[in-house]
Amino acid sequence: MLGRGLKRKLSDYEENMAGLSSRQLVLNMCLTKLQTYKMLVEPNLHRSVLIANTVRQIQEEMRQESNPIENGLLIVSDDDMSSAISSILKDLDFVEDISPPTCLVPTGDDQPKFPENTGLKLEDDRQDLKGAECVFGSFEISNSTSYLKDLAIDDIFEDIDTSMYDSDFCCPPLMPPRSPSLATEEPLKTFPSCNSSSANNIQICRTDLSELDHIMEILVGS
Amino acid sequence: FLQVKGAIDEDVAEADIISTVEFNYTGDLLATGDKGGRVVIFQREQETKSRPLSRGEYNVYSTFQSHEPEFDYLKSLEIEEKINKIRWLPQQNAAHFLLSTNDKTIKLWKISERDKRAEGYNLKDEDGRLREPFRVTELRVPTLKPMDLMVEASPRRTFANAHTYHINSSSVNSDYATYLSADDLRINLWHLEVTNRSFNIVDIKPANMEELTEVITAAEFHPHHCNVFVYSSSKGTIRLCDMRSSALCDQHSKFFEEPEDPSSRSFFSEIISSISDVKFSHSGRYMMTRDYLSVKVWDLNMENRPVETYQVHEYLRSKLCSLYENDCIFDKFECCWNGSDSTIMTGSYNNFFRTFERETHRDITLEASRESSKPRAILKPRKVCTSGKRKKDEISVDSLDFNKKILHTAWHPTENIIAVAATNNLYLFQEKVN
Repeated sequence: MLGRGLKRKLSDYEENMAGLSSRQLVLNMCLTKLQTYKMLVEPNLHRSVLIANTVRQIQEEMRQESNPIENGLLIVSDDDMSSAISSILKDLDFVEDISPPTCLVPTGDDQPKFPENTGLKLEDDRQDLKGAECVFGSFEISNSTSYLKDLAIDDIFEDIDTSMYDSDFCCPPLMPPRSPSLATEEPLKTFPSCNSSSANNIQICRTDLSELDHIMEILVGS
Repeated sequence: FLQVKGAIDEDVAEADIISTVEFNYTGDLLATGDKGGRVVIFQREQETKSRPLSRGEYNVYSTFQSHEPEFDYLKSLEIEEKINKIRWLPQQNAAHFLLSTNDKTIKLWKISERDKRAEGYNLKDEDGRLREPFRVTELRVPTLKPMDLMVEASPRRTFANAHTYHINSSSVNSDYATYLSADDLRINLWHLEVTNRSFNIVDIKPANMEELTEVITAAEFHPHHCNVFVYSSSKGTIRLCDMRSSALCDQHSKFFEEPEDPSSRSFFSEIISSISDVKFSHSGRYMMTRDYLSVKVWDLNMENRPVETYQVHEYLRSKLCSLYENDCIFDKFECCWNGSDSTIMTGSYNNFFRTFERETHRDITLEASRESSKPRAILKPRKVCTSGKRKKDEISVDSLDFNKKILHTAWHPTENIIAVAATNNLYLFQEKVN
């Protein structure tokens, strides 16, 4: 809040901005805001989109510059930020919203809440975050991109026995085993419309690889 | 219209913040909606010989609770009762109709006067109790007797359950039979008589929400062509759509966007380009958009840039980072035309509001505050000092109160009377005629 009493603070702040990497400052503010919004029951879609776009813009700038020193100052990595933004936007998608069903992924409310996903604590638990995001965050992303559009509902559920899953997993039958590190032939055959170019966006999940293997086996039916 | 001179100060002094202000088609009625879901309607007093000085004062005509807070049990969300928009319908009979909308529901209200009462019923006595049958010895016709004027507001239609996201706009069509309501991602078309069905005419929701980069911020019907409407976006673009071309107007007929000035690019360029309001001129030839720092007038025949741009508070450009931090950068200012489309008006901070004369390029900054507006006093123009040396009456940028923001203003359709909402106070100013 700006007012008479804060006059000095404002000029100090402006000075600091020039000194520090202003980009980093803006980035920090964006992430703080996104995290605050995520805590709200109903985040403001307009603001979230604007802030997410600002973050993406900064990301793009940094990627283009690819200044190693600059990147070293980053507290968050590109992929984590993308996932953070994506998970927030996903949360804003309401379950009963009746739109043309081009994708079958249960959205929004089904997603288990990971308040730490916005990436502010990443200096401590980067790997954990990557892993967690990978399973639930990225999979949500990868699920909804091109992969499922061409498949009919019946095809997916036909040969999958969902009875063994408990409710902790958000959408087990729809998890495509597309991480490039898995590199098996069967999953690619089973889901022929899988867009291999999107596989590059999937984070490599080192910590949850065994879980993935297990899920894959069930999906493939072996 | 040289200068706003006369000042008639109407102080509502309610605890609730005014969230919308709208004159009706004749300007005799002025409606305000507030955060508590209430609507207050003011009526202009008729000039009488006995009270020549009370020329055109607005007094409270009706007050009613339009929307109540609701709870969405399915999503565990509270639905705010704040009135986002009020739109009047043109008057077709003795009653007045308006559409008031909160985040999720639109309601059609009928405001009618009652100044006569029927007396002399056959079966009821004056208290309303049924008369004893044996007392009814003769037939009589009830007569109408005058009574004190009573203004009643009754909800006639409720248009609900059509919006997943928050409604930001509503607009009555020139056919006076349909209207549109817009939320962040969709625009729906309604018929005023039908509440159980609406038609979706714009849907910008992507299949995957993480691909979402743009939301709808405002929408309005063309004042004369009932098939044309525009909607603005958070990326600073405006799309004009023709409902004759297809049922779903995802394809625009015209696309208005000003190319970005690379020299003024900053991290906040996109945020400040987000359009907070779009208004057609009365003539229907132009439209005006408000973004964070400026107001732009567009000729509907020219899509690549606006014909006029007015800087509202350019001195804030160097403060964008701080304004982002305190969320002020997301404030949604509205704008309005005067009746002849010669002047436009919009609000700013510190309870300042600005008017811009299009032909003469004159502009003025005025303040809506108790101190500076005594009844019938002339408003003094204000100036914000941008350079180091502050002159006597100027105010410096750092001294501006960013909590006092004028987001909602309205201009009388034919006369130079303006309504300015400053937080929870409503100010009415009119031009002094000597």
